[in-house]
Amino acid sequence: MATVFRFPDVGEGIHEGRVVEWLVRVGDQVRRDQALVKVETDKAVVELPSPEPGPIGRLHAETGQTIHVGDPLVTIGDAGEQPSGEPAPTDGRPEAKAIPPDRAAGHTPAPHRVLRAPATPHTRVLARRLGVDIEAVQGTGPGGRITDDDVQAAHSAAAAPAPQPVALPRLEPSPRPPSALEERVPMTHLRKVIAQAMQTSSQTAAAVTHVDEADVTELYAWYKELKPQVEQSGVRFTILPFFLKAATVALKTHPLLNASIDEERGEIVYKRFYHIGIAVDTPEGLIVPVIREADTKSVVAIAGEINDVAARARERKLNLDEIRGGTFTITNMGPLGGVFATPIIHQPEVAILGMHAIKDRPVVVDGEIVIRKMMYLSVTFDHRIIDGAEAGRFMNDMVALVSNPKLLMARI
Amino acid sequence: MVVGTLSRACDVAVLGGGPGGYAAAIRLGQSGKDVVLIEERATLGGVCLNEGCIPNKALGHAADLVADTKAAGPMGLSFGTPSVDMVRLVKWKDGVVQRLTKGVQFLAEKANVEVVHGHAVFAGPRVLRVETGAGMGEITFKHAVIATGSSPVELPGLPFDGKRIIGPREALSPGELHGRVAVIGGGYIGLGLASTYAKLGSKVSVVESTASLLWYLDPEVGDTLKRRMEKLGVSFMLSNRAEAFDDGTGFLTVVDASGNRSQAPADVIIVAAGRQANTGGIGLDAAGVATDARGFITVNERLETSAAGVHAIGDVTGGPLLAHKAYREAKVVAGVIMGEPMALDNVVIPGIVFTDPEVAWVGMSEKDARDAGMDVLTGTFPLRASGGALALNAPEGFVKTVADAATKRILGVFAVGRGVTELISKAGLAIEMGALLDDVTAVMEPHPTMSEALLESAEAALGTAIHVVQG
Repeated sequence: MATVFRFPDVGEGIHEGRVVEWLVRVGDQVRRDQALVKVETDKAVVELPSPEPGPIGRLHAETGQTIHVGDPLVTIGDAGEQPSGEPAPTDGRPEAKAIPPDRAAGHTPAPHRVLRAPATPHTRVLARRLGVDIEAVQGTGPGGRITDDDVQAAHSAAAAPAPQPVALPRLEPSPRPPSALEERVPMTHLRKVIAQAMQTSSQTAAAVTHVDEADVTELYAWYKELKPQVEQSGVRFTILPFFLKAATVALKTHPLLNASIDEERGEIVYKRFYHIGIAVDTPEGLIVPVIREADTKSVVAIAGEINDVAARARERKLNLDEIRGGTFTITNMGPLGGVFATPIIHQPEVAILGMHAIKDRPVVVDGEIVIRKMMYLSVTFDHRIIDGAEAGRFMNDMVALVSNPKLLMARI
Repeated sequence: MVVGTLSRACDVAVLGGGPGGYAAAIRLGQSGKDVVLIEERATLGGVCLNEGCIPNKALGHAADLVADTKAAGPMGLSFGTPSVDMVRLVKWKDGVVQRLTKGVQFLAEKANVEVVHGHAVFAGPRVLRVETGAGMGEITFKHAVIATGSSPVELPGLPFDGKRIIGPREALSPGELHGRVAVIGGGYIGLGLASTYAKLGSKVSVVESTASLLWYLDPEVGDTLKRRMEKLGVSFMLSNRAEAFDDGTGFLTVVDASGNRSQAPADVIIVAAGRQANTGGIGLDAAGVATDARGFITVNERLETSAAGVHAIGDVTGGPLLAHKAYREAKVVAGVIMGEPMALDNVVIPGIVFTDPEVAWVGMSEKDARDAGMDVLTGTFPLRASGGALALNAPEGFVKTVADAATKRILGVFAVGRGVTELISKAGLAIEMGALLDDVTAVMEPHPTMSEALLESAEAALGTAIHVVQG
């Protein structure tokens, strides 16, 4: 009795996806809930679990193929319905009395779990959290022990862009002769989604950008002082979480920038929650995971969460829920250099904050030229509901908060 | 719980209030989940607290006192002939049990776990039908944790009668001190009971189907244990199977490997010949939960069963049937249900037998490691060379460490002797941490203690032990 498993409705609004990788082959015995295939949808890659155990009879889609909800993906069953093999979850010793001596002598145990990759329980938890297969990690510790650093390194390596083959496979057949002067590469699903989102934003919003500069000397000193302490817990600490926190404080004072527009009903929707999107640059394109209720979280907690979602964004392992529902976005362009830029608003939000490079610049303080840590901040806002003056007041508030961390502390 | 036609909805329904079930329920309750714990007994704690580990350790301790006083003559101490008032001893044991089960009940309440005493049966993938003294009710859940445990196997020809053919539960609440006791099964339960009864004064014989005790451990373990237990007056019928018991004549018939029958007199037969999963009559089919050929629930390392949202932990999932395995699995399953990226990543499960002397082990034996194609280093430290052991008048036993010759990584530790069930936890930590022999030998051990034996055995594996002659 065969079952045809069709591409299910994996989440609100998703109607198509692209097969990224098959995790099973025809003839494989799969368990219920075993991952069958990776499908790229919207901005996440999802693994689809098998609805039932059985042998794989047929794969209906090829790697790279675009599939729609309801399309057949895989046929399970047919080949005599052999029960799936029993997994061995523990290194259970057989009950001595249940086994006669002759059978006992020929007993060959499964590979002992002691022979798993050597690592402390703490490191194993870290590997789970980062989605790293610890058995595949090369340990650099004593006796080949796998350290936290080894796991982190394996995690970063997996997140780094894979070397791009010169000629990508699966080019669309071109009516013209192959030319050395141009190359045609199909847009990934993610690229199409980004393209659509950017186009919609630029057509919808009346976007204006306001730029100011902030003296972050003191905040930078705080950050530098805290960094080693915070990083003892294994969290990579950057200055970004302070800005995220400052933004939630400023947004509470200027709620219009945390709103959205309901065009149909002609209403402004003020949001009394602060879900802040963080623009993450991944090898395959821009992804904006959302830090939920950032106003209720500590700077350190936010740092940890950014670590986690940014890492998983690069691996495309975010859930759809983690990239939706933002109320305001921050994009940190500092590491990329430049003076400032004019970011595009992430719809349906109405404003986005750009953070730019922190540089040592000479400035005049009390009539004297001194060297300070200076940075530009930009806010692109939707002039349909936010006037320039309100955006300016928001920016003044942001500048005040990040220029004076004591004020920030006082208002958190 | 609402009784009758109405139903109670919860986040997590836990079936069984033993070490796995109550720990999972408390952890989930602490984390803010709405948890219902369904337990058939009147008290929480399962077999472990009520009729297993705790009663066994309590009676075992009393038996140790008796044996220690008997052995104190050479120290110049005499106590006369010890008398055992079994009724008072059992009452004391029951007091210990009661304190613990009440404590668990209190902790469950404090964690906002609703405890329902009744029998739960899956009526579908997300619903349980629960029968209590007050009637029938229904519980719908988002997640279920099956922790129904295991129970003793009944042998054909030796059906339990609760009087002369009994299981471990009855053996741990005897009404009197039995004269001649035959223990069927030389596993961790049978040997523990045999030790206790022998020291309290019974004449004990053990019937075991394999040719040696605890054959799956280091062979030295079984040999050492057998020698010491024989000194305590226990006789062994190895390579023998119990066939029948004649209530009238009081003779137990056993059959050896060649089919030869012999008879042994016994007042009571304690059957401890394995345990089976409590998976019958709880509607696993309705929930879609699959079991293996022996009836144990099949789970993955996240303790998920074949049915989405239904988890299983503890004895009911097979493997070593040990409370500490269930305790760990309870915490893992709670994490999994809370959405954390958790799995049962432990590399070892400590094994322990409360005999005299105690037996404890963790990890791979020398044979396991050689069978896996490894070059191994082994080091054995005999307790007769341990100041700590001699001062306790407990020179029997040894600690043996097995390590990988190439990396010096510790693979296993096997120990026999007084107090080694405490000592083994350190070996377990070492192996979980991926420790090398040096990690153990470069640590100071408090002196004089049994723990020094672990250090010495690791040094012996490196050929550098101080207190044994290095060959």
